[in-house]
Amino acid sequence: MAYYSTSQFKNGLKLMLDGNPCSIISNEIRKPGKGQASNKVKFKDLITGKTLEKTFKSGESLEGADVMELDMQYLYNDGNEWNFMDPNTFDQFTINDSNMDDVRGYLVEQDMCVVTLWNNNPISVTPPNHVLLEVVDTDPGLKGDTAGTGGKPATMNTGVVVQVPLFIGIGEKVKVDTRTNEYAGRT
Amino acid sequence: MRQALIKKAKLLEKIRAFFDHKNVLEVQTSHLLNTPTTDVYIDSIGMSVNSEIQRQSKFLHTSPELEMKKLLSQGSGDIFQICQVFRDNEQGSQNFNEFTLLEYYRLNFDHHQLMGNVAELVKVLGVGGEVTKLSYAHAFERFAGIDILNTDFDALKVIAKVHDLSADFEWIEDLQIFLFTALCEPKLTQFPICFIYDYPAGQSALSKVKGCIAHRFELYLSGVEVANGYDELQDAQAYRQIFNRENDKRQQLNKTVISLDTDFLTQLEKPLPQCSGVAIGIERLIASID
Repeated sequence: MAYYSTSQFKNGLKLMLDGNPCSIISNEIRKPGKGQASNKVKFKDLITGKTLEKTFKSGESLEGADVMELDMQYLYNDGNEWNFMDPNTFDQFTINDSNMDDVRGYLVEQDMCVVTLWNNNPISVTPPNHVLLEVVDTDPGLKGDTAGTGGKPATMNTGVVVQVPLFIGIGEKVKVDTRTNEYAGRT
Repeated sequence: MRQALIKKAKLLEKIRAFFDHKNVLEVQTSHLLNTPTTDVYIDSIGMSVNSEIQRQSKFLHTSPELEMKKLLSQGSGDIFQICQVFRDNEQGSQNFNEFTLLEYYRLNFDHHQLMGNVAELVKVLGVGGEVTKLSYAHAFERFAGIDILNTDFDALKVIAKVHDLSADFEWIEDLQIFLFTALCEPKLTQFPICFIYDYPAGQSALSKVKGCIAHRFELYLSGVEVANGYDELQDAQAYRQIFNRENDKRQQLNKTVISLDTDFLTQLEKPLPQCSGVAIGIERLIASID
């Protein structure tokens, strides 16, 4: 695998840090009035999702991480494993249910999403920014109410609970922003 | 756009009024020099001039320090200068190839008196908050648990590795600076106006050394380094020694060895008066004023 020097660091570059693949979020060159330059780098650990900060001597090198982000179609899950397919190659990938905590409420069968592969193994899934979900449970709707006058919790067909306007009833399809878990309109 | 121009113009006006009030004279020195800086980690921007007469190499000044010191040795008295300076290989959100520097010298001041004067200036210019003074050794002990003055190079390398930081440095002073950046600087954001003073002798640059301590300081405004000040070396011999030491380091790092600025060294046969001087980055200063 290639090595990258601090002068090649840029946002989004994937590098190995403490054994985990990480993505650079920001890279600040710090040059003291006297003395050598260093780089203050913020990373996102692609396995744990945590943000890390580390200072490097300018010129230091890190090993690149073999990380790819591919558009894939979500097929189904069997309770233990979630199955995805690369629509170009028809290659199928599975992710263990325990790695799906943050996203399982936003994946609808046949929807496209981004799967991150490390050494050809999927490590994370990013759902689309907006998904269409069906309300399977919520208190009865109120007539004449409009968005913005409060809300109520509604359980979606994927299990996720989203705050929706009072007029939304069971069986309706709503748009949900997957980044904020907020109601984003009716269809 | 105009707002930013007004802010800078007003600030420069206030700086001039501050020095006028204290009888510090504004000067201008040459920006185009015959000799690049010997500073190991600062690169001068070179150029070729007079190609139609007799080609010569010139260098944009990286700081007006040596030219102002020539004036001091000739008896200029207290002086200040506001000018653009130019440095090669600088890039980043806080580093540029060109920036504005305020450089000034006060006769009969030591570095503590100058810190007091700089604190007064930044307050007049509108930097709010309490002034904190921390010695370099104290900052290292408080923020990183390291006894920096009594830790040798090998021990410091071990400490760097424990912190999962690079220990691949040629000289102990470079590792000290790196560890300060990595471990101490992030903690300085909590102080609106913070002076770090009394550096290890190996980081003396052009300041006086007493025992194992270099009489210099840096000013951090909410964690951003804004100024660098020295109780200045006075005689030619001391400067010659520093320039030679910097050239030795340049040679080891395969950087260009700089022929010494003989004009400057000759001039300093008449030594500088006892004085302290400081360089303040104007753009960074402006950024810390609301």
